[in-house]
Amino acid sequence: MNVVVIHSPGFYARRRFFENKASVVSGVFILLLTLAAIIAPLITPASYEEQKYLTDALAFPSETHWFGVDNVGRDLYSRILYGARVSLGIGVVSALFSVLVGVPLGAAAGFFGGVTDWIITRFVEIFSVIPPLLLAILAASLLGGGVLNIILISSLFGWVNVARLVRGQVMAVRSREFVQAARAMGANSQFILRRHLIPNSMSPIIVGFVLAIPQAMLLEASLSFLGVGINPPIPSWGQMIADGLYFMFFYWHLPLFPTLFLALTVLTTSIFGDGLRDAFDPTLKGK
Amino acid sequence: MLHSLLLPRVRLASLIVTFFVVSVVIFSLMHSVPGGPFDEDKMPLSAETKAKIMAQYGLDKPLVVQYLLYMGSVLKGDFGIPYQSPGETVVDLLARAWPPSFVLGGLGLLVGTPLGILLGIAAALRRNRPVDYIASAVSTLGITIPIYVFSLVLILVFGVWLQWLPTKGWGEDPVAWILPVTAYAVVPLATFARYTRSSFLDALNKPFVTVLLAKGLPYRSILFKHVLKNAAIPMVTIFFPIFIGITTGSIFVEQMFRVPGLGSYFVTSIARRDYPLEMALILLLTLMVGIAYILTDIAYFFLNPRTRVQGGEPK
Repeated sequence: MNVVVIHSPGFYARRRFFENKASVVSGVFILLLTLAAIIAPLITPASYEEQKYLTDALAFPSETHWFGVDNVGRDLYSRILYGARVSLGIGVVSALFSVLVGVPLGAAAGFFGGVTDWIITRFVEIFSVIPPLLLAILAASLLGGGVLNIILISSLFGWVNVARLVRGQVMAVRSREFVQAARAMGANSQFILRRHLIPNSMSPIIVGFVLAIPQAMLLEASLSFLGVGINPPIPSWGQMIADGLYFMFFYWHLPLFPTLFLALTVLTTSIFGDGLRDAFDPTLKGK
Repeated sequence: MLHSLLLPRVRLASLIVTFFVVSVVIFSLMHSVPGGPFDEDKMPLSAETKAKIMAQYGLDKPLVVQYLLYMGSVLKGDFGIPYQSPGETVVDLLARAWPPSFVLGGLGLLVGTPLGILLGIAAALRRNRPVDYIASAVSTLGITIPIYVFSLVLILVFGVWLQWLPTKGWGEDPVAWILPVTAYAVVPLATFARYTRSSFLDALNKPFVTVLLAKGLPYRSILFKHVLKNAAIPMVTIFFPIFIGITTGSIFVEQMFRVPGLGSYFVTSIARRDYPLEMALILLLTLMVGIAYILTDIAYFFLNPRTRVQGGEPK
């Protein structure tokens, strides 16, 4: 007699995720970078603003300075690790805000339908027609940069995607039999939302959260690149790239390392998010 | 049928409404933030001279009056004088700045689009083979990594290390255009590669392909006559995001390659509080984005016969 072992959907999702080599490697990279960013003071020779190596200014990468020294005598390796704090921190906090705003709005739109849905969908539409980066540049240069403003600006554009994902999922689950059964037994809307619809929308919420992180990191880097993002001396990769441009014809290490770290971090976070989405919902693969 | 006639008009009406809403919001936002174009940090002027200049540009009037005067002259085609170069009008400056932006961005689109489509088709036909992996790596890189990072890599490799190409991306000699055009081309290349692959695969798995094969049509003509036609329809919709990508990208590319185009004025005119130039740039942009959106909509509508049937697209 054959014994068929039936596993939970989570088991299959986990297996699909670990079969995807690229997203596992990306996950490991993000984990290591996060760890390095957290313990940065312990593993760097200088703080991000200490001009400790003025006599070695513009030195090329070496054993003592892994990524070289910048034009005002700061160790680039230290600045890159502290820059990871800014980049990851802004990415995660903005993504959290996006979820906090996007989930209730998306769930309300999907669940109540009608006028509520119409109004929320119009808002989503407005935000998907306006080029977010342009409006962000305008907002950042008028309101001024700084960590808090950048987080607010990127959440303003980040919630849209989350709301759209959650709305779709809630609409799909709303008409399922167990929800109708709950309603027939007298459950009110609030109970159904809390007990059935939001738990069943966990996978799009998680995917929306993870994919909002690289978006926010990119926005921060782009604004800082243009000089309207994070204010010096707090290091940001985008700002370091822009500063390094003046020196690139000879001291190429100044723009190169922040560029590499920005590219790698955004790339791995996106691949990780895509991997999660494919694991939760294999039908979406490659879309 | 009514729908088909109504759609463009509704879109056009909403474009006009958007245009005015944007103008009010941006105008009041720009003026409400503390600081002004003739403050001490921008040019050292005595209080008297400053007041005189402010009066000359009408900046001493109430905001509502300023807006109405501005919109009145805009409707007559007069966009004012840019504070950062008072020797010309905003229209003159835009006329001088648009060619580099349009030539480089347009060439990027022209180079990237066919390459992306070909790569996508190759990936769909050789699924899970090396070509497919290369295509997916290229499209993931191109979609996630910002355009200034590519520009920097191009400058470092071809301009600084190999010294094959000039790093200033605009000039009489079209050789200078190669690097910025390559940077622009990444956006359509990556996006088209990804979407062509998925829409080509969708079309390949439709039952009509089996029917045509059973009928005895050669595979090649099925692919290029029938599958490509069906796959092309959803691809029209990604023109809009690509257009946005190139427009936004111009701000960065023009800074990286020191191109004197429209994008290069976008950030400086906000920073210098150059109200006339900034308003003109944003209104121009709103108009272009709106028109691109409407054109995408209309193209989709005419290419996809299903949207013209009552009841819409079958699910």
